[in-house]
Amino acid sequence: MTDLFQYVPGNSPLHRMNPVTKIALTLSVCVAAFLTDNLFVLLALILFDLMIGVAAGAFRKALAIFRGLFKVSLFLFVLQALFVRRGNRLLWIVTDEGLSTAAGVVLRLLAVCLPLALVLTVTRVSDIAGALVQVLHVPYAYAFTLTTAIRFIPQFMEEMSGIMEAQTARGVEFDTKNIFKKLGLILPLCVPLLISSIRRTGATATAAEVRGFNLRTRASGYKKYGFGLVDLAAVLISAALITGAALIP
Amino acid sequence: MIEVQSLTFRYEVSERDALRDVNLTVPDGAFLGIIGPAGAGKTTLLHCMSGIIPHAFPGDFYGAVRVGGLDTADNRLTDLSRLVGTVFQDVDSQIISSVVEDEILYGLENFGVPHEEIGDRLTAALEQVGISSLRERTIASLSGGQRQKVAIASLVALRPQILVLDEPTGELDPFSSRQIFTLLRTLNREHGMTVVVVEQKIMLLSEFADRLAVLNDGEIVKEGPVRGVLSDIPLLERIGVNCPRAALFSSLLAEKTGTEVPVCVSAEEAVEAARRVMG
Amino acid sequence: MIRAENVSYSYPGNAQTVAGLSFHIEKGEFAAILGENGAGKTTTVKLIDGLLKPTEGKMTVNGLDTAKSRVSERAAQVGFLFQNPDRQICRNTVREEIAFGLRAVWGRREEDKIRTRTDELLERFGFTGDEDPFALSRGQRQQVALASTLAPSPAVLILDEPTTGLDYRECTRIMDFIRQLNEEEGTTVVMVCHDMEVVLDYARRALVMAGGRLLADGPVREIFRDEALMKKASLLPPQIIRIAGELGEGFREADDAETLSSLVAAKAERRRGA
Repeated sequence: MTDLFQYVPGNSPLHRMNPVTKIALTLSVCVAAFLTDNLFVLLALILFDLMIGVAAGAFRKALAIFRGLFKVSLFLFVLQALFVRRGNRLLWIVTDEGLSTAAGVVLRLLAVCLPLALVLTVTRVSDIAGALVQVLHVPYAYAFTLTTAIRFIPQFMEEMSGIMEAQTARGVEFDTKNIFKKLGLILPLCVPLLISSIRRTGATATAAEVRGFNLRTRASGYKKYGFGLVDLAAVLISAALITGAALIP
Repeated sequence: MIEVQSLTFRYEVSERDALRDVNLTVPDGAFLGIIGPAGAGKTTLLHCMSGIIPHAFPGDFYGAVRVGGLDTADNRLTDLSRLVGTVFQDVDSQIISSVVEDEILYGLENFGVPHEEIGDRLTAALEQVGISSLRERTIASLSGGQRQKVAIASLVALRPQILVLDEPTGELDPFSSRQIFTLLRTLNREHGMTVVVVEQKIMLLSEFADRLAVLNDGEIVKEGPVRGVLSDIPLLERIGVNCPRAALFSSLLAEKTGTEVPVCVSAEEAVEAARRVMG
Repeated sequence: MIRAENVSYSYPGNAQTVAGLSFHIEKGEFAAILGENGAGKTTTVKLIDGLLKPTEGKMTVNGLDTAKSRVSERAAQVGFLFQNPDRQICRNTVREEIAFGLRAVWGRREEDKIRTRTDELLERFGFTGDEDPFALSRGQRQQVALASTLAPSPAVLILDEPTTGLDYRECTRIMDFIRQLNEEEGTTVVMVCHDMEVVLDYARRALVMAGGRLLADGPVREIFRDEALMKKASLLPPQIIRIAGELGEGFREADDAETLSSLVAAKAERRRGA
């Protein structure tokens, strides 16, 4: 799980694409997913996501992300299916509209999460920061905050799994199958997790400062982030996704 | 050169002095090891040498610390950082990139190294630290020892006069620990960097450092050439600092034979000393 | 007590991390697992604890197959002290911290028993019970973690680099305590440790690993004296063992500075007399 959000080196068109374009493409998928209510369009978006995964050479990772989202999706699906009361009753309190709303929520979730995770797989965090600063003129402090947060995700997850392992070893039932019970056990552990994270953030800030964080300007970046044909293609695809989602009823 | 003069420091939140009247001079080109029990003030002293104290941690600061002639209290942390490179205790919180070369680029970019020079500086730093082959690797795929080297390379690239490190081998196995110290020795001897290391692994430290400073309860209780410091075994025992077994052996041997036996820091030296005693 | 039969383990999607491990650790032993980083030491102790289940082979602890029982169920029998106490500590006072682990193992209905046992441990470790664990030093936090690991009186105690980040005095205190437990209560101890001096001083048996396999298994001193083996496992034996080995016949048996210096002094004396 901890490597889900981590950069995987490669030389695919997606790796070479300008980071800003990648972010734009990701956001387009999100916008498209929220514009449409058509389940088939959502399915098409997911298919598109998977194709991107293949193009990035990360198909197996894309599947792993799906698997990771499966439990949450299932939970959401059941919740939606039970609570939407409109439409015709099919079985007990489950209605046809409930089912389609539930399917919509889950498909949307999948369609949106996948590209977000994939962007991090094909882009180095320093390139995200660099391009945001250079191309979009985002102040460096904001870009740094964003990338530090991204860098923290795997560390945070590693710490969490370490804590859960240590607690399991002392008899706390983290190996229970009951997800609610597990949640109840996890909550008290957020305190040590928070403390270690805060300690870490402080150290990161100081470490960045002694390496000239305050001196950084828009001109500091060594790498230049240009736009090429891949980027043009991505922009066209983005436009097509949004238009398609908006037009198809 | 680092000059610490009558330095007393107390953290803002604390009720007792972390350092008390510390006087210490680290000459250019020295390899100084700082030892002492937990809570003695080792990390605090290191932070004072790099200017992180008083700039990043507030507190009561008395006395003076001068690094390369600059008074740390009167100069910005960023300016001090050009002279002193700091490797923090927790390397993972220090590394901000996902790929090795980006990590080394970071400081070079920030300190405004001309872009036409950056490529060469990057390559040179990787070579000096011996990690050229790791250039394109992701940080996540590296071992603890390799990450430590990346952190060191990211500072070496900035060509500081002084390198200060806080327990750089804390999480490493004996083999990688030795590699890190060998690297520090190379940087010290061949590239003329002054090295200051806080370390619990006294055996390793005694073998590689040329001076030791012993801290106890915020005060320097002994400072000098390694062998001189290690000859005072009762002091080290009293404050709860380990001492290399070879040094213990040589002092016991001197005591039992009533002859002069040089203080030994490595097994090889001890063997030689024992053979000489036995004729 | 601990029996590994041809145990292999691979993390999902990776090559095998440990392969073909077979060993047998009896009740009351004090064993150290040695090897460089990546040799598979931590994986091995996690297999013993059941935090990982063998992908092949069988691991039994106290007669229980680790693959067929839950870790949390076996926590009463096997205690695991981690390198980083901060992953273990999650309560606001030392007393609560110790009681927390006991409650997880014994259940909430045993409050009286839990209180008695907690008091006993607080006294033994010299805590009042009201300390805030997060305000203590690293060494003291490691002691809190050890106290709560020992609280249910496990028959097996696993230590994964218990002395990392501790100073000499803290390290000695923790290790002396564990030795006492091993000698007086017969607790079986399995320890992963990078500090060869600590291994020499405390462990009696050593299992040497390299590349996920068991290279050797025997009494600590014999293992350390086997130069070829040490080299193969990228390990450096303790200084005194190296000095004694180098001095050769008549000195090789010495394993502490006191004995070795006496032997050398005696020989020098004989020389002078002759």
